[in-house]
Parts: sequence; C-alpha cells; structure tokens
Amino acid sequence: MTLQWGYKQAFLRCALLFVVGVVLQIAFGDFSNRFLRQPWGLIFAINYLYLLIVIYVQSDKWKWMRQIYDHHAMISTLSSMVILTIIFGLTRQDPDTEGIVGMLGFSRMTSSWSFNILLVYFMTALGVNVVQDLHRWRQRRLAAILSHIAVFTILCVGTFGSAGKERVTITTSLDKAAHIGRDKAGNSMELPFAITLKEFTMEEYPAKLYILDTKTEQSSKEYLLVEEEGLTQEIDGWRVEVIKSLDMAGAIPGQAEFREMKHVGAAPAVYVKAENLKSGQKYEGWVSCGSHIFEPSFLRLGERYAVAMPRREAKRYLSRIVVIDSEGESHRFNVEVNHPATLGSWKIYQVGYDTARGRWSTHSVLECVRDGWYPVTHCALWLTLLAGVVMFLTAGGRKVAKSKRETKKQPLTNAKSVTKHRKEGKR
Amino acid sequence: MSWNELIYYAIASILCWVAGAVMAFKSQKRWHAAALSITGSVIFFAYIIGMWIALERPPMRTMGETRLWYSFFLSVAGVVVYLRWRYKWILSFGTMMSVVFICINLFKPEIHSKTLMPALQSPWFVPHVIVYMFAYAMMGAVTLFALYLWLRKSPKLASDEELRVCDNLVRIGWSFLTLGMVMGALWAKQAWGDYWTWDPKETWAAATWLSYLLYLHMRPHVKDQNLNFALLLFSFLLLQMCWYGINYLPSAQGASVHVY
Repeated sequence: MTLQWGYKQAFLRCALLFVVGVVLQIAFGDFSNRFLRQPWGLIFAINYLYLLIVIYVQSDKWKWMRQIYDHHAMISTLSSMVILTIIFGLTRQDPDTEGIVGMLGFSRMTSSWSFNILLVYFMTALGVNVVQDLHRWRQRRLAAILSHIAVFTILCVGTFGSAGKERVTITTSLDKAAHIGRDKAGNSMELPFAITLKEFTMEEYPAKLYILDTKTEQSSKEYLLVEEEGLTQEIDGWRVEVIKSLDMAGAIPGQAEFREMKHVGAAPAVYVKAENLKSGQKYEGWVSCGSHIFEPSFLRLGERYAVAMPRREAKRYLSRIVVIDSEGESHRFNVEVNHPATLGSWKIYQVGYDTARGRWSTHSVLECVRDGWYPVTHCALWLTLLAGVVMFLTAGGRKVAKSKRETKKQPLTNAKSVTKHRKEGKR
Repeated sequence: MSWNELIYYAIASILCWVAGAVMAFKSQKRWHAAALSITGSVIFFAYIIGMWIALERPPMRTMGETRLWYSFFLSVAGVVVYLRWRYKWILSFGTMMSVVFICINLFKPEIHSKTLMPALQSPWFVPHVIVYMFAYAMMGAVTLFALYLWLRKSPKLASDEELRVCDNLVRIGWSFLTLGMVMGALWAKQAWGDYWTWDPKETWAAATWLSYLLYLHMRPHVKDQNLNFALLLFSFLLLQMCWYGINYLPSAQGASVHVY
C-alpha cells in the first residue's frame, strides 16, 4: 500500500502535534484548564467558533487552511484519537506513576498535553466540517450532519465548560445544618445553601448464607437466600436449612441466642441447621452478620467450615433533606441514587452513608454539582440519540439512491441493472 | 426458571434457527426462513423473560446474562438484515454465533443473584444494555462477513455490493453503539453527576466507537480492501476489550465502576 502525499502530510501534522505535546508536558508538567473558568470558558468558546467560521471562509484562498479539515485531516486525527484512547485504556490512571509513562503524561491522560492538543485538533477539524455541513446542507447526509453537530457540541462543551463545573461533597448529620463541603482536591468549599439531614432510610435485600472455608477464607459460590423460614439449600456438600429468621435481632452479651430486638443497632439473625451430606454430621445454631453494636455470629461446622452471613446488600437508600437557600427559603427533598434533587443550577446527589452502621447510619454523604452548560450538553446528547436513530433508518439507503441515479443517467443499461440486483437478491 | 432449563430452550431455539438458515437457501419465499428463525428467537426470548421473572430484575447484570441477550439479538439482527436486504448467508452466520455464545453459557454456568445495586435501578438500564448488545451483535455479524470476504480464495477482491453490505451493517452497528453510549452518559449524569468519567469501560467504549467511526470515514476514500478489513477486525477486538476484556486487564483492575 502506498500512502498518498495528502495522508503523509496529515499524519505528520498529528505526529508533530504529539511531539509538541510531549515537549510541553516535560517543560510545564500537566495541562490545566483552570484558565477556562467562567466567564472565560464562554468567551473562549465564542471566539473559537468565530475562528472556525474564518478558517472555513478563508480556506478557498489558503490551501493550508483547507488541509486542516479535509478528509486526510479527518482520517489522521481520528486515527490519532483511536491510538491515544487505546494507550489511555492500557495505562493505569494513577497520578503518582513515575518513569516514561508518567513523564509523557499517559498515566494522567486527561491532563496530558498530547491528548488535549490532539483532541482540540480533532474538534477543530470536525468543527470546520460542521460549518461546511451547515453552509452546504445536503438532506442526503442528514445522519452524518446531525452526528457531526452533536459530537462537536459535546466536545466543545467538554473543552470549554468542564473547568466551570463545581463539585462539592458534603457529609450531613441528622438534624445538623451543613453548608461546607470539599472539592475533589480536598479543599474546603462553601455552598450557597445549607443542608439538613432529616432522615436516612435504607431498604436491604434478604440475608444470604454461605459456607465459609476458614482455612482458605473462601466462601462458597452458591448461597441460600433467606427469604422465608423453612428454606433448604445444598451448598458445597452441606444441606442448610433456615429454621427461624429474625429481621431485627440482638444477642445478650455472653449468650449465643439471638432475640427479637427492635431498636437501633439491631441485626438480622437466622437459626440454621446444617447437615454434611457425606458423613451425616449435624450442626445447628445462630448466624448473624452483626451490626455496629453486635458482633457477627457464625455456625461452626467442625474444624474447617462455618456457615456465615455477610452484611446485607442495600436495595435502595434515601435521604430526606431540608435545604435553606441564600434567600432563606426552605426546600424539602428526597434524594436517592438515580434521583438527584434540583435547586436552581445545582443538583444534589446521594453518594454514600456510614457503611459501618449501614441502615442505622446517622450520616449521609451528598454531592452538590453545578454545571452551567448542562442544558447545552443535554440537548447535544439528545441530538446524538436522534442522529443515531436517523443513521439506523437511513443505513442501506445509498444502494437505492444509486440505482435511481443509474436509472436516470443510463436508460439503456437500466434493464441490466435491475436484473443484476434481482439476481443478487436471490443469492 | 433457572440456568438448568437453558439447555431445553437452547436446543429448541437452535433447531429453529438452523432450519431457518437452511430454508433461506432452499425456499424461494423469504417468509419461510424468517418465520422459522423468528420462532427460534421467540423461544429464546421466552427463556430470558422467564429468568427476568425468576430473578425479579432484568437479567442484564452479569457477563453470562449479557451473553443471553447477545445470542438473542444476533438471531434478531440476522432476521432483520435478511428481511431488509435478502442476504441469505446472514441467517447461518447469526445462528453460528448465537450457538457459540449459548455454548459458553452452558459450559460455564453462573450463579444468579437477585440483587441489583441501587445505581443499576434506573429506567436507562434496560435500553442501555439492550442497545449495546444489539450493536455488538451487528458488529459480530459484520466481522464474520468481512473475514469471509478477506480470506476466501476466489474471487480475491470483494465486489462493491459486498462492501456495501459491510458498510451498511457497520453503519447500523455504529448507530446503536452511539445510542448505547449516549444512554449511558445520560444515565451517568442522573446517577453520579457526570456524563463521562473516563472509567476503563468508558475509555474502551470510546476507542471502539472511534475505531468504527474511522472505518466509516476511510471507506469512501481508502480503496485498499486489506486495510479496511484489518480495521474492521481490529475494531471488533477493541469491542471485545470493552465488553469483557477489561475484567482481565491489569490497568483496569479495581478502577472501574462497571464491574457487577
């Protein structure tokens, strides 16, 4: 395969940009986009869009400007992005990595100069193509045009808008107002509102019983899901039977027996019988995963094995919060995973709780995010969805279009063309 | 319904799919082959629905569960492509690949858990996974077809019509990859406040998406068939990395939230 000069030039340009990125990385360290904080992000974005239009308009006069976004450029920038993304995927992202990988910035790829420079070049080539698409609108290319516009908008928002995004993690305690959280770097951040946790509730999945090999500390793959009393399951050569199941229980210190106990710190407990299927040996007793008050309890099965219950898995957890905004107005929200609360330009997410206390947690970890470009990104993503649907619906349409063109241009070969397509259809 | 019943449904489905694939070549009427293949898919879908009911959640969480959908969508994709473009071979290809993935599930059964972590309890979960599995199925079909065109002895070069089939299938697959990726982004924003976090799974999804996009941009300009076929194969390898390869990749260990 011989590479055309246009491709050679385009790939050399990408290679040069990569080298420039490496030099900048070594000279100045990681790339930071802090200079794009609002309002600078918006100012730069507007000027950048203007620059793209200038490049497109002037590209008739200047050949090198056309080379920025022609198909050679698109293929070379796309190839560069594929290669860099693969390197990204193959390299563990760890800011403390040393050696050549750390020096080139591959272990902090989103902050590396090479990645950002080539990404901006890719965005620029795509951007000028979008200007061209809009200028020379062709209905036939609708799917491609929509994709170009949507992807360009997403890249643009990511580049110029991400620096202006605020993200604050705040730990709230029951009935205590909190308005100071921490950003990703651990710096203290003051929020323009105060959050008070009124209630934290958790729904859990039923307890699971495993056979634990105490020598290897490996638990069985199979388990018994304690959905009701009387259930039996064979696990790794043992028949395990649930005799009694208590959702909220506790044990009196020094006693092995669990009793129903409906107050803070209560843990699930199950009275089980286990029989070795080979030897017929039988054991019975209480098993519990424990809580922040009660120790876990195992049923020993001889010297090596035991029946164990890990902590129950959370099905859903919810924080009832009251937010007082800067105007002194009070807002009540229920926040849970996948259901954030919205307060003006802020969104409040449920991210965690005190895992040691589980369902009895008195803390809730929330994340407050302000993303000024949210509406634009959202519209661009929905446009991408639309572009995907249009591409699916129009895929395969070219054959028809070509056949129609052939019909118009070459009436004499029309019969042959139709026959050929029919034959292909029967293949 | 449990893993133990899979074999019965699988045998019934495979018999229908094989009969459909044979009928595509034997019968003049498209609907004979399509009806048989659809029957196979319906039987297999009945098993998936049975699992859905038994597990009390969508069976989309584990690798084995996604393989069920992959097998199902391969058969569906085969019928759709067959009915739309009348490519008879697609039913055989679809059947072959579905059988491979069913066999993996039969020989490597999983323990199914009813639990579904809160982050997965979203209206985006089902469409996100389904759309991705359909995209994977389309890309699997086009990879097999490209390999056939590339490695066959005669004729050495693929015809324009054959290349158009490749392009159409990639275009459909890529449009679904895009839909899956965007749905994932909208879901991530709802769950974690970020559209994209360059999690290992997302990074490899981006690499796969870009690689197929490169193919779509190269095809009209680069006439070297070897290069185009090699890129298709390479893109499919990236897809494998995105689907399950990251589970074994040292750089992704403990770094992905996409491990369930």
